Amino acid sequence: MNDQLLLTPDQRDALQEVTNIAMGQAGAQLAQILEVFVQLSVPRINITESSSIATSILQLVGTPQSVTAVRQAFSGTLRGEAMVVYDQNGCRDLADLMGYEDDIDRDSERELLLDVGNVLVGACLNGIAELLGAKLSFSAPTIMAEDVEVGRLINPQQLTWNYALLVEVHFTLEVRDFTCHLMTLMPEESIVALKSALDAFMENL
Amino acid sequence: MPTPILVVDDSVMARKMLIKALPAGWDVEITQAGNGVEALAAYRAGKAEVMFLDLTMPELDGYGVLETLQAEGLNSFVIVVSADIQPLARERVKQLGALAFVKKPVDPAQIEAILREYGIAL
Repeated sequence: MNDQLLLTPDQRDALQEVTNIAMGQAGAQLAQILEVFVQLSVPRINITESSSIATSILQLVGTPQSVTAVRQAFSGTLRGEAMVVYDQNGCRDLADLMGYEDDIDRDSERELLLDVGNVLVGACLNGIAELLGAKLSFSAPTIMAEDVEVGRLINPQQLTWNYALLVEVHFTLEVRDFTCHLMTLMPEESIVALKSALDAFMENL
Repeated sequence: MPTPILVVDDSVMARKMLIKALPAGWDVEITQAGNGVEALAAYRAGKAEVMFLDLTMPELDGYGVLETLQAEGLNSFVIVVSADIQPLARERVKQLGALAFVKKPVDPAQIEAILREYGIAL
């Protein structure tokens, strides 16, 4: 791995804290939509080569299982992809929480996953960008995979960059087992830009 | 005599931000803790007349610290400092004995106002 891309302990700590602040905003919005208390995780940060991205995602999500994922591209000071990964039961539970009866059709379920994904990605990434003085814009969310095994979520051959920064947060609802994971993938030049932004942020403390 | 204060957060940067936001000229002796277990140890060693406590932490989280302090008879001014801005989080920590809730990133004016409100000598 190219050493220039590695985060120093200070940069990692700063990114973790900035992410923590941003996810507090994302969690509060999720709580408002679902009208339940949302438990926040300590964010996990990982830089990975694209060839091992599937393994890294599997480690973050935990047990191998089938998942559905929503993706959204972002560009601006940083560019990359944000993904929200829902486990199998998560989709069903989300529908329940939103007051749908058993008869939710596939389209309504997709719409729900896209909406929740959009809220989480927007709040989380805008929160990070705002703290670091960066500007981001987002593409519309799309479903990237439905009911696929988590290790097969991303085909490394389809990635156009060699390294990725995974920033992972997950939200757990107290009333039930619903968990979803938010991750971002960024190419090399954005990792370098992010490192500079973190350094500048720490210098201004 | 300086007031012993304890700053609890798993992030070194967050602790730095908090310490920088403390009122200038407040005579304090600062101890830092990286998780709830370290926080309780410092508290028991008398290092926490005022405690600034994060909620989301590994080992033992902020709620766990508050529960333990409550069970042992709370004898510390605890100000929770958290990114979790859900109204319910605020309510819960108050019920667990925290004096006040400050959201991250911290605002120095808010911290000073809280300390003055509770008559902590600055």
